Amino acid sequence: MTSHPAVRSRTSSVKAPGSTTASGPRSPQGGAGSSRVKSRPADRIFFGLSFGSALLIMVILAAVAIFLIVQAAPAIAANWASNPDLNSGPTGSFATFWNYVAPLIWGTLWVSAIALVLGAPVAIGIALFISHYAPRRITGILGYLIDLLAAVPSIVFGLWGIIVIRPLLLPLTDWLNHNLGFIPIFSGQASTTGSTILAGGVVLAVMILPIISSISREIFLQTPRLHEEAALALGATKWEMIRMAVLPYAKSGVVSAVLLGLGRALGETMAIALIISPSIGFYWNILTEGKNSQTIAANLALNFPISNVLQREALIGTGLMLFVISLAVNFLARWIISRSNADKSGRKKRRPKAIVEAASAANGPALSASDSPVRATGSATTKPEGTPA
Amino acid sequence: MSARRGHHPEGNTVKFKNVAVVGAFALTATIALAGCASSSGDTGSTTKPSASATADAYKIDPSLTGTITAGGSSAQANAEAAWVAAFTSQAKGVTINYDKSQGSGGGVTNWLAGSYDFAGSDSPLNPTQVTSSASTCGADGAINLPVYLDGVAVIYNLPGVKDLKLSSEVIAKIFSLKITTWNDAAIVALNPKAKLPATAITTVTRSDGSGTTTNFTNYLSQSQPSIWTYAPSNAWPVAGSSAQQGGSGVVNTVKAGEGTIGYADHSAIGDLSSAQIQAGTSKDYVAFSAEGASTAFAKAAVATPTAVEGDLSQKLDYTKLTDKSAYPIPLISYQILCKTFKSADQAKLTKAFVGYVASDIGQKIAAKNAGAAPIPAAMLAKIAKSLADVK
Repeated sequence: MTSHPAVRSRTSSVKAPGSTTASGPRSPQGGAGSSRVKSRPADRIFFGLSFGSALLIMVILAAVAIFLIVQAAPAIAANWASNPDLNSGPTGSFATFWNYVAPLIWGTLWVSAIALVLGAPVAIGIALFISHYAPRRITGILGYLIDLLAAVPSIVFGLWGIIVIRPLLLPLTDWLNHNLGFIPIFSGQASTTGSTILAGGVVLAVMILPIISSISREIFLQTPRLHEEAALALGATKWEMIRMAVLPYAKSGVVSAVLLGLGRALGETMAIALIISPSIGFYWNILTEGKNSQTIAANLALNFPISNVLQREALIGTGLMLFVISLAVNFLARWIISRSNADKSGRKKRRPKAIVEAASAANGPALSASDSPVRATGSATTKPEGTPA
Repeated sequence: MSARRGHHPEGNTVKFKNVAVVGAFALTATIALAGCASSSGDTGSTTKPSASATADAYKIDPSLTGTITAGGSSAQANAEAAWVAAFTSQAKGVTINYDKSQGSGGGVTNWLAGSYDFAGSDSPLNPTQVTSSASTCGADGAINLPVYLDGVAVIYNLPGVKDLKLSSEVIAKIFSLKITTWNDAAIVALNPKAKLPATAITTVTRSDGSGTTTNFTNYLSQSQPSIWTYAPSNAWPVAGSSAQQGGSGVVNTVKAGEGTIGYADHSAIGDLSSAQIQAGTSKDYVAFSAEGASTAFAKAAVATPTAVEGDLSQKLDYTKLTDKSAYPIPLISYQILCKTFKSADQAKLTKAFVGYVASDIGQKIAAKNAGAAPIPAAMLAKIAKSLADVK
């Protein structure tokens, strides 16, 4: 077996003329050697292409933002009370643009929150089951099936919601309204057609399930085996092991998965437009059909065809607000992750890197969940653990 | 069918116009005769095949080629599909694209921007749009042609109740949520023999803006201004109803619920029960029929033309619909086009299609395939005359 010094010399001996990159994903030699490394046209082309792609993404993002702002500006600035285009139809009863968009923002956040509350625990449970409880044979199939949910078009979910979920939830709606009607979100006149936020929230929860579940599953599988085995060795039951070793490690990753699901829920259009009977206002209720706060995306889809020019611009303005909210949610996600990464000690952050090097040192395969860390930790004992590489 | 006449490769409008007038007379005579008889429940309008044989004379020039791009109202959508299929089966070199996802508003907006040859719209151009059309069409302006006629059906789902009779007052109260249970005294008074349960009424309406809503709210605010105090609009004005997406959404929700009542284009309701509407304040209750809608158009449509010569915008005066020959809630949909096209070929092609749509045979096709009602022949003649000026 090659040991470290041999590996090191092997990598250094690879510095033949004409070779460009040093071996290993993050080998420190790359830095030292690049000044002596020739770069061929292929390199420059590849660099150009990837730089160009990154630049293109930035440009597209900026273009979308500029388009939204430019299109929405006339509607935001117009006088809604006096303008004949704006004081009738879907924008009729609102005094200004902000009066129109504020309840829509509330509706978007509220419906997404309901979907998260209903869907995230289930998705995390599925991920845990697949990563830690299910027999090896069926994890692949299970994971595949969950990911298949993500391939279903949202309009199909909308139709499923109308035909199956709405009637299904009617008894529950009645029961909640009767018995727990004193709680504000269950109050109001119960719906008889099922076009409630509860039905929409359930369908939306099913739609964001695959996103949260697949990312969480990957995160749970990354838990250091050492920690798990240590917990088990100390006498923990399986659930206690998960609680002690897996969940703390996976916390920030799961948060980012949940926020990704939230991002999808915020922008979901057709399913909400088909299922929920909308109103524009600040309502808490989830069981009525007259008091369901409408979301931005569904409102846009429903009213765009019939709108005149200024109303379209007002709708694009609401789209701009949705864009801003989605950006904010993404920034929040990154901030939470970076904060929780900074909380942990520096070693914790580099631990994966140390394992990767040890794995490549042992000629091990790419880091896979169940076996390499075990082998890597075996060879890692030959060098001081946790040494910043 | 028309074996006497051969094919006329050079379709000329003069000949068409003569034949159309003859056909119009024949059709008017037949409709007048049919109006004398009682017209309950006859929804098919292919009942006068003999008249159609002589009136079937609109000739499509099979050598026409090109593409027509149009879009707009979804109420017209089924009829448009039937018209397009029939037209292109005879003029094989022509492609016609009608985009129904735009809605009336989107159709007019795109047409004003110049991307459509004509727009399908449930209401004629409003004054602002007329002003904008000057830049799209030039000084000659645009004409609104009423080519599609249907009715708004009040659909309900009440097990055990078959022929529900409603007056405009009761409808207005139900939809403005003033009447809340089915066994309310006002409904019982109109339906003494029916077993009306004490179920709560759930009103099902449109959540997306729609020309059907415009027509229905127009009817309500004209017939019952003291009860229906909202201005007519394409967005449903009363909060608290169960709002659904699309006409099919309304129909499906009414069907799936119990004690539900809603409104939809009659051609879309399938086998749901549609209420009989009181004709004005008389004691007649009228169920929907194609003849009833055509008669309603003939009686209630008041021409409100724009300044453009040949424009045929109509306004419906519901107070004129007071007897049982006319269905009280008709729905008109227009095709809007410029009088002067930028390209003469495009003008010829679009004229041929719109002329076909507004011909006797075109109206029959819409009636048979899309459940529409034929526009009365007198109006068809006027449309042909207006089309003659399009160049």
